[in-house]
Amino acid sequence: MKAGRITSGFWLVAALLALWELSARLHWVDSPNWPALSQVLAALFHDIASGELPPLIGGTLWRMGAGLAAGSVAGVVVGLAFCLAPVTRMLLAPAVELLRPIPVPAVIPPLVLFLGLDDPMKITVVALTAFFPVLTNTMQGVAAVEAEAIQMGRTFGVGPLRRAAFIVLPATLPYALAGVRVALGLSLVVAVVAEMIAGEAGIGHYLVMMQFAGRAPEMYATIILLSVLGYALNRGFVAVERRAIHWWFALGRQADG
Amino acid sequence: MRLRTLLPGLFVVAMIIAFLEFAVDAGMIRRALLPPPSATAEVLWELLSTGEFLPPLLSTLKLVFAGFFLGSAIGIGLGTAMGVSPAMYRLFEPLVELIRPIPKSALVPPLMLFLGIDDAMKITSVTLVVTFPVLLNTLQGVRGVDRVMLDAARTHGWGLGHTLWHMILPAALPFILAGMRVSLGLAMVLAVLSEMLAGQGGLGFLILDMQRSFQLRQMYAWLVILAVLGLLLNSIFLLAERRALFWQRR
Repeated sequence: MKAGRITSGFWLVAALLALWELSARLHWVDSPNWPALSQVLAALFHDIASGELPPLIGGTLWRMGAGLAAGSVAGVVVGLAFCLAPVTRMLLAPAVELLRPIPVPAVIPPLVLFLGLDDPMKITVVALTAFFPVLTNTMQGVAAVEAEAIQMGRTFGVGPLRRAAFIVLPATLPYALAGVRVALGLSLVVAVVAEMIAGEAGIGHYLVMMQFAGRAPEMYATIILLSVLGYALNRGFVAVERRAIHWWFALGRQADG
Repeated sequence: MRLRTLLPGLFVVAMIIAFLEFAVDAGMIRRALLPPPSATAEVLWELLSTGEFLPPLLSTLKLVFAGFFLGSAIGIGLGTAMGVSPAMYRLFEPLVELIRPIPKSALVPPLMLFLGIDDAMKITSVTLVVTFPVLLNTLQGVRGVDRVMLDAARTHGWGLGHTLWHMILPAALPFILAGMRVSLGLAMVLAVLSEMLAGQGGLGFLILDMQRSFQLRQMYAWLVILAVLGLLLNSIFLLAERRALFWQRR
């Protein structure tokens, strides 16, 4: 939606939000689980101002960030290794592919046994989630590096290691970053999911607590907060990405797979 | 990948399992963390041979399928409508943009309040997570159809239905299927998560429940069943996708 242009869609959203507010205020939906939008927003501001939510958000973001960083680095390294040294791919790809289709929440129970309920377990779960999209995109990126660039490197006598570092890696970067952007969205969700299932930390645990306590306004406030957070993280990442690889966009290319 | 190229990698997997067996036997890994793989295999065989694995598997599969088809239908329908009609696009685009960033897994707790802990809640949560990738990809695919082709269809007097079925949807199909492939994985995630949170049955519930009651061989056995299910669903979809897109050379 372009700013300043009020379309039918804007009115639809406004009408739905008004319906939400009215249906709760006028008891059309008479349920303690259906608080008015204004009550939800009040709860959101109150929980932020009272200092209850900020440390929880901080904890969740820290686990997300640590896991994302670890998983992304692993994804790029393994992706480069698989492409540049095909032996590693032949030996290890099946093991990786056997892990990939396991739905993430299901690895949490066994990881709890090995790593406990706290940060190490959750960071590992996030890292595991982030690993796969980055790996896939990195490998696509290496495959897309122009053969010309590699041949030119060979002409100028660039050795395999320097070729990997100075030709393949920069050319792969846009693809890897596109993978990290996908991983970023998943990381926040998975960090929250891990908190919902195990342990007593973070915004995910708070969400489940509020459900058990029957505090619906706080529960919806948490969901709004998570949505805003996810949206802001994605926007922020896209901005950083444009900065980091502006030359790529200047060439008019797109790395979305 | 062909079997010949897979063989060395599968050998490595076998070596890893053999090493774990040895490591548990030698006391390098505590049995309280990892039972010997052979013991897990025994339990797995028992579950498989008695048919005990089937009811939980089917209950999870039901959630995945129901949510996947509902969500795909909504996503394809709304995405096509928004792609074809600018009025529909203007009407729904802000709403879609508003709902899209909501993490669907966070919606499981409120859905439990409204729909209880039965299949209705689980299928709804799976449907929600499936809808948006399919919708956005469908929209992208439909909007990407060559204008010249659309004009040609109009020149030949094709109606909207005919154009949709014979031109727009086939052209958008690669995008739609790519969205559905992403959604299939997400559907598994949400099915398992809502089973864990609702605590009633299904593979997700069993894995969590077995861990909490320290029946680790059972936990790992159910995990293997879930992993195989994920692998199978994914492979079947990839095959179907390649079939459907036979004209695309990869």
